[in-house]
Amino acid sequence: MTSRLLSPLPSNLRIRLTLWYVAVLAVLLFVYAALVFAFQYVVLTRQIVHDEIQDAGTVEGLLFFDQQGRLQLRQDYYSRPQTHLLIDRLMEVRDLSGDILYRSPTLNGMPLGGPNRSGEGDTSFDERIVRLQDGSHVLLVSHIHSLQGRTLLIRLGYNLAPLRQRMIQFLLLLLVAVPVALTLAGIAGNTIARRALRPLERMAARAEGITAGNLGSRLDIANPNDELGHLARVFNHLLDRLEQAFAQLHRFTADAAHELRTPLAALRTIGEVALEKGQDSEEYREALGSILEESARLNETISGLLMLARAETTQPADQQSVFNAAELIDEVLSLLDVVIEERNVTVLQEGKAAGQASVRAARALLRVAILNVLHNALKFSPNGSTLSVAYVQSEDPAVLTIAFQDQGPGIAPGEHRRVFERFFTSSARGTASESGTGLGLSVAKLVIDRVGGEIWFDEEVPEGARCIITLPTCK
Amino acid sequence: MVPIRSKILIIEDDRKLSAALVSGVESAGYEVVAAGSAEEGFFMVHSQRPDLLLLDLTLPQRNGLDILRQIRKEGLDVRVLILTSHNAIEDRVEGLRTGADDYLGKPFSFPELLARIDALLRRFLPPSPAAPLTIGDLTIDTKTRTASRGGERLDLTPREFDLLLYLAENHGRTVSREMLAKDVWRETSRFTPIDNVIDVQVARLRRKVDDRFAVKLLQTVRGLGFSLREHQP
Repeated sequence: MTSRLLSPLPSNLRIRLTLWYVAVLAVLLFVYAALVFAFQYVVLTRQIVHDEIQDAGTVEGLLFFDQQGRLQLRQDYYSRPQTHLLIDRLMEVRDLSGDILYRSPTLNGMPLGGPNRSGEGDTSFDERIVRLQDGSHVLLVSHIHSLQGRTLLIRLGYNLAPLRQRMIQFLLLLLVAVPVALTLAGIAGNTIARRALRPLERMAARAEGITAGNLGSRLDIANPNDELGHLARVFNHLLDRLEQAFAQLHRFTADAAHELRTPLAALRTIGEVALEKGQDSEEYREALGSILEESARLNETISGLLMLARAETTQPADQQSVFNAAELIDEVLSLLDVVIEERNVTVLQEGKAAGQASVRAARALLRVAILNVLHNALKFSPNGSTLSVAYVQSEDPAVLTIAFQDQGPGIAPGEHRRVFERFFTSSARGTASESGTGLGLSVAKLVIDRVGGEIWFDEEVPEGARCIITLPTCK
Repeated sequence: MVPIRSKILIIEDDRKLSAALVSGVESAGYEVVAAGSAEEGFFMVHSQRPDLLLLDLTLPQRNGLDILRQIRKEGLDVRVLILTSHNAIEDRVEGLRTGADDYLGKPFSFPELLARIDALLRRFLPPSPAAPLTIGDLTIDTKTRTASRGGERLDLTPREFDLLLYLAENHGRTVSREMLAKDVWRETSRFTPIDNVIDVQVARLRRKVDDRFAVKLLQTVRGLGFSLREHQP
């Protein structure tokens, strides 16, 4: 909002910083000057009042009534030249009825102050500022004094003009000094800002040069502990991740092309061989059936890739619902029921109470993930073996752990992570005839990562393979 | 099998696919005309008055959905089956909302296409009363959900019965794995584990239906799917 009010603001950060700096300094200086000025004024005014009170005491001793009964001021007073102020003294003496008994020549016949106030000068000196007829201001004190049996009201004041003139000079001095100080501050601020921002400019120049082609390039980190070093570090981490993602994408594209080419090669060869060889319609039938099978495989690979792309672009909040984890697994198991029976595999479920946890996820995707994991475990389960599904409530109540343990040949050392790679086929298992698109576990991992869970194969199991999935639960 | 000889217009720009479709649909007993572009197709919708339109969505120059919109605006009485390689649910919904009667993603299985065409055109005919289905000596009673062969009751699980019924309803035709995944297993798409489940389930059903009999009814058509029929093709 402020920036709108002040717009158009300079777009340059350095100039903006300098302007802010100068503006804040200006406010501070003006406040400071105002305080100093006020303080000075108060101190000087009190000094004058103090002088006046002393002077009033002096004057009391100099007043006397002459033979005619007129009040006079002893003239030898002027013989003391050092009291220069006294020449400027304005004085009026009244009696309590308000009659003027004495008026100093400096007043030029003008009255000093108005009519008597009640109790004026009795208990205090009643210092106040009054305006004379000629317009000048006078700081005035009043004092009651008894002289030869009569009560006198002495009013004594000094003209404020010299004080005010001095204060104006002081103010002018301040007003001249402030702009000079601000100008100097502005220049210094600008220089400091430029120096502070110079590494930023260098970083920007370097970053501008980084494209998809040279993602390996990094920003220099001058001082890793300051803010700019921190920024550079964060930026470099971003580049790390980008570079990894690019490399992964690159590898994936290459793999995908390879995987699509393999069934294509089969299609082509089967067709070519059939045409070369013969006219036997049974052979043609065989070849065509084979071609259709390959094309189905090709289509499944493409569906798998699309599924991966969909899972990758799924936002965590997309199509989410809350559902019971054990129910989902039961549903998948019942879908695979016929395969389980056919293989004569026994499925054991343990800790099912813990499995009654609610999970928030895109159900259709998580179902595919679980289906892939279970189907994978079944695929490698020997006839008559046991497949166990164990639900474990972790120490963290918000996490449900599910372990799928089969009695198959297990995973070769060093491949526990690689089985999740796209198109991975194990070198050890020799299960090429069994394997599908090679995307099942990749899809499972991607989906479960997206949900905020984890999936891995336990490297410690003595027998078979043990796939562990953790899922975040909600109440 | 097709009581009324219906006319089908195929608008598809890929010449090979179009030629294969024409030949396949023709041999199923329909009268078929084909157009290779949106303009030509739109003209032929008016000149040929087809009963059913097989419409490719990604045509050069003009989008298939445009044609569909135009046809629906003019209120022409024609069934429309969309064929497209955009298989996302949103595309499906948009196509159906624009006025398509059905939607099939590429690559589709040809038996499924035929089944869809039959289903769309059958809407013109009165539904047949629910009667026990018989194929050879196999009888399926939909009311009691039981099946018997040669007078002997077959012991089927509910899933096996559904599978057998679906095959019987399509008897004489080949049923693809896609169709089974969608119509019997009610899965949204076909993928490896489902294929595996279908194969195992069909093998078990075959044991119950065919093992003790000389005539094998449930046959695997390599590359296509499965078929329930009395005679070898």
